[in-house]
Amino acid sequence: MIRLEDIHKRYRSPVLRGIDLHVPAGCIYALIGPGASGKSVLLKVVAGLVRPERGKVYVDGEELGELDDLGLASVRRKIGMLFQNYALFDMTVFENIAFPLRRLYDLPDTEVRERVAERLARVALPGTEDRDPSRMSGGQKKRIGVARATVARPPIVLYDEPTAGLDPVTSQKIYDLIRDEQRAQGTTVMVISSDVSGVLSIADRVGMLHEGELVFDGTAEEARDSTIPAVRQFVHGLVEGPL
Amino acid sequence: MRSGLTRSIAALFEDAHQLGSLFGRTLYYLLHGKREKGSVARMMFEVGNKSLLFMCVTMGFIGAIIAFQTGLQAKKLVPDFSMIGATYLKLLVRDLAASLGALPLATRVGAGIAAELGSMVVTEQVDALRMCAADPVDYLVVPRFVASVVMGTVVLIIGGFVAYLAGMAVAQMVFDVNPHTFTNLSMVTTGDLTLGLFKCITYGGAIAIVSSQRGLATFGGSEGVGHATTEAVVGSCFAIIVLNLIISTLGYFFVPAL
Repeated sequence: MIRLEDIHKRYRSPVLRGIDLHVPAGCIYALIGPGASGKSVLLKVVAGLVRPERGKVYVDGEELGELDDLGLASVRRKIGMLFQNYALFDMTVFENIAFPLRRLYDLPDTEVRERVAERLARVALPGTEDRDPSRMSGGQKKRIGVARATVARPPIVLYDEPTAGLDPVTSQKIYDLIRDEQRAQGTTVMVISSDVSGVLSIADRVGMLHEGELVFDGTAEEARDSTIPAVRQFVHGLVEGPL
Repeated sequence: MRSGLTRSIAALFEDAHQLGSLFGRTLYYLLHGKREKGSVARMMFEVGNKSLLFMCVTMGFIGAIIAFQTGLQAKKLVPDFSMIGATYLKLLVRDLAASLGALPLATRVGAGIAAELGSMVVTEQVDALRMCAADPVDYLVVPRFVASVVMGTVVLIIGGFVAYLAGMAVAQMVFDVNPHTFTNLSMVTTGDLTLGLFKCITYGGAIAIVSSQRGLATFGGSEGVGHATTEAVVGSCFAIIVLNLIISTLGYFFVPAL
């Protein structure tokens, strides 16, 4: 479903160095790694929001590098994304969640209202349509973000640090929501997180980025048992090690 | 030294290319875009109503100062003030109302646009728009461009009128020129009006394009937003001055002053 080949990206210094990655359809792929290891940039490369200097990105069989703006917009219709900073617009909860539906499809108002209400019920925020997201808690904003990312029923959903800044209970609720959503819709999911234990609890496969390189790619179980020093240190939260 | 100059020139051309590209896409989406209902009206309110008082006060002071200085110099050469109102009005219509008024307008409107778009970039809202099939140029830049062109022109015309009234008051109080004598439209031609109006429209568009480009190019956090805002104001003012030179030069040949 998602395939990356030899991805290189640099800003002032190299951020991604020769990333090769494959995320099969219907899989929850967790991308872990310490801060500033290039996780968010990699997710934006997959979404076509950042163009790599070298390498190829295939999403559902289409190579993003060959597409113009219109082509990219067409691929993005297949992708929903939750942003690290929520990225909610200065609108009500309803307008935020209805936004992708209104931009992507020409649906009647009643159907839009039904779909938004269904999403809000799904993320345990029923009846909050008229509220202002800026006055809601971090966990609620994340859930609104999840609702907006999934309302158009995209086959691929990307989550950028879905639990950053949240307490452990709310974090686990968000992970459960991501897993339940994935099971219900059969979507392909990429989650990046620094919260290893939480994200490993829902992941089918795990990749670890360190200094722009993919140093591990395997199952959650293999990640826990890995003997690679950086992976071992990060997954088990050890003080001693190369990180 | 030389490589620094080369880099600066290259950066200038790169900026010009990006501005040209944004302007082209803005015109494209102006015709083919899918805008939210009321977005242009909201922006018009932001640009127009919220700038009006500031512009009136600023242009009032500027008009009074210009009339005072013009009167002082005229007094030394020809102690006859019968044509001061006509000359002053021509100067305002042809150039000063638009060119001087656009500078404070750029600080008010340009800074607002760049700060707003810059904040949206650093909070990833612009990326979120792209993911929702909304092109930021269509969704964010076009309403600001239309509002800045339309309301910028309206505000500049009102500012010019205020400057004229302030000049009239100074002429009467300091140089004892009767308002009836001051109100002399004989020197203003259709060409002057066209040139002045063209400048207002162009400056309004330039402020929106330069500020939007700076805002959308914001990089980093709050420091980046501050940097983008400063660059938007400086860039807009620079664009106004350069455009003034170009339009005034063309005006000299195609719409000659009497």
